[in-house]
Amino acid sequence: MSDFDPSRRRFLGHLGLAGVGALGASSLLSACASSASGPADKASGAISLQSNLSSPQAKAAMEKIIENFNKQGSGRATVNTIASETYRTQLPTYLTSANPPDLYTWYAGSVANNYASKNLLLDVSDVWQGLGDYPQSLRNISTDPTGKQIFVPMTNYWWGFFYRKSNFAKWGVQEPKTWAEFITLCQTLKSKGVAPIGIGLGDTPWVASAWFDYLNIRINGAPFHRELLAGKQRFDDPKVKAVFARWREVLPYFDPKGKAYPFQEATTALLANKTGMFLIGTFFADAAPKDALGDLDFFQFPIIDPAVPVAEEAPTDGFFASAKTANPAGTKALLTYLASVQAQETYIQSSSGIVLPAHPKAKAADSPLVVKGKAMLDNAKELTQFFNRDSSDALQPTADTALTKFIDKPDQIDAILREWQAGAEKVFKG
Amino acid sequence: MSTLAPATFRTSAAGPTPKQRRRRANRPSPLLVAFVLVPFAVESIWVFWPALQGFYFSLTRWDGLEPPTFIGFGNYTELAGDAVFRGALVNTVIWLVLFGGLSVLGGFGMALLLQRERRGVGFYRAALFTPVVFSLVVTALVWRVFYQPDGLADQLLRAVGLEQLIRPWLADPQTALYAVILPALWRQIGYVMVLYLAGLKAIDPALHEAARMDGANARQRLRHVTIPQLRGVNAVVLSVIVIDSLRSFDIVWALTHGGPYHSSELLSTYMYSAAFQSLRLGYGSAIAVVIFILALAVILGYLVRAFREDA
Repeated sequence: MSDFDPSRRRFLGHLGLAGVGALGASSLLSACASSASGPADKASGAISLQSNLSSPQAKAAMEKIIENFNKQGSGRATVNTIASETYRTQLPTYLTSANPPDLYTWYAGSVANNYASKNLLLDVSDVWQGLGDYPQSLRNISTDPTGKQIFVPMTNYWWGFFYRKSNFAKWGVQEPKTWAEFITLCQTLKSKGVAPIGIGLGDTPWVASAWFDYLNIRINGAPFHRELLAGKQRFDDPKVKAVFARWREVLPYFDPKGKAYPFQEATTALLANKTGMFLIGTFFADAAPKDALGDLDFFQFPIIDPAVPVAEEAPTDGFFASAKTANPAGTKALLTYLASVQAQETYIQSSSGIVLPAHPKAKAADSPLVVKGKAMLDNAKELTQFFNRDSSDALQPTADTALTKFIDKPDQIDAILREWQAGAEKVFKG
Repeated sequence: MSTLAPATFRTSAAGPTPKQRRRRANRPSPLLVAFVLVPFAVESIWVFWPALQGFYFSLTRWDGLEPPTFIGFGNYTELAGDAVFRGALVNTVIWLVLFGGLSVLGGFGMALLLQRERRGVGFYRAALFTPVVFSLVVTALVWRVFYQPDGLADQLLRAVGLEQLIRPWLADPQTALYAVILPALWRQIGYVMVLYLAGLKAIDPALHEAARMDGANARQRLRHVTIPQLRGVNAVVLSVIVIDSLRSFDIVWALTHGGPYHSSELLSTYMYSAAFQSLRLGYGSAIAVVIFILALAVILGYLVRAFREDA
């Protein structure tokens, strides 16, 4: 699940229109899926779960969870796994069809809220009544603007500055806590002939959004960030410009080659000691050799204004249900099971990447890295997800354009923010 | 058709009046009608209807989720004021001129060089044609390796002492478009060369023979014999080049996605990102209509002129 974001973008790039060609096939699939759950005895029939977890381990994990659910006897369910890029483009079609599948894997936050505002999603507040153990931060991102819960989380992951422990020891540097310490660290690394900050924007320009998200939630706070991404604030606001003023302070320490290669190669550069540290989500580890993982550690994005409540990026994956399901009781029973410790531990054990279970009592993998990541998210006052998840996939390209241009031409920031606002208005207008 | 004729003859030979026979001969055979109507029906469903729908969608605002709302020419007035669209239009013209012009010149030159049967000429023809065989996406992956930081391109420049020219080829807005045109050309030249080779083969050698007898030198024969004889091929090449330029998408998308910040955006990539990334399907349709009109205008313009010269 954690590798979903990057692979989605990469598939777009490599397949291009081929993805569109695949639509035909997938709509056939969805037709099968909805007819499989048949109109005959829908009210008591099997719940159909539409899943985009198509990597072999994740697919097997989901199938095992559904198998366990079926053994329990509180209902019957089937899982239908679809290639993630096809799934992304077909999801609106599934939800708006006359006889839709009951349950879907997807993201929390504004993406889900957007469907909820069109009355496409089932109110699952009943399920949440049984989820008292879940932290408030997860409840918040599962709640739509009208105050009802429409999403049930399963896993999330975190972003941070990853580095090699052996390198930091060799260079005699420590993890920075504040922005000033961070700048000192950059200067030290540069004096040692290393590019301090790695980045990978060629083919994966969305990686730059992590910098924007973090600087904005550190300087202006998570509520402003959410409002900005929802179109309630303006990108040419002086508060947004302040974000770029901070960013500019560290721009000279970015790896100049980072513009030309994707984040997977930026990972290689970090592991090959060419860059000092790399702000990235845990999914990057999929591209790293297993023996290098033991040497990796990370630190939290430095605190800039101590008065701003600490927020962290925690992209959250989980489930929502169709409002048109013929069997709401059965769907909620399955959702309750998916939110349980047992189901989430099954998933964590079988999946390959670095992910955290959403249930606070479910056991995560016990590597020191995972323990540290989980502690960071548990201590956060607020959680944001990621630019596209807190806004929409449609707004992401406007950010990619603005941020890569800023990294190239920081002097033109006023014009860049004006263009960004104009581009965003078009997206919000539709 | 030829198998049908005797059948018609046999039935009519069974003793109808001459009048009936004439009427029957005038009516097209059912099989012929089927050969026309079935493809037309298929074409209508899969080509004409979506094309007409595309025109309609270009007059709407549509996110693919809710029903489209009719907004008249709103998308077109927005296009007129859209700086990214203007940039994409300029880039498409640059693409048409550089990619089209250079592939015609290169392809024609190569065809002239390689038309005579000499030892080893087959090898060179095959070598030039090989890139056409690869999918453009595969081509893009190979060239991406070529362009990557410290890749082959950078090593070559370093080897000849031009390291001050080194830059992130695909990530620099000054070079991105040209860095994408190069692999597209690399492929297209072989294709155009094959078209011209076929055209050159079709020229009657007697014409060259006669011109040589009259004392024409090689350049005069090229100017007054070869080029006029290639008019038919030129029409094909021009259509192919214009259509290929306007639909160039895969190589740009695979190498730069139209970036960095729209600097290598073509109309086709902008159409795709407007429609399928920004989910503004109405706006994307309007761009598609513009592409269609451009292609039609260029090709019709040439065809009308060509027909007038023939008449």
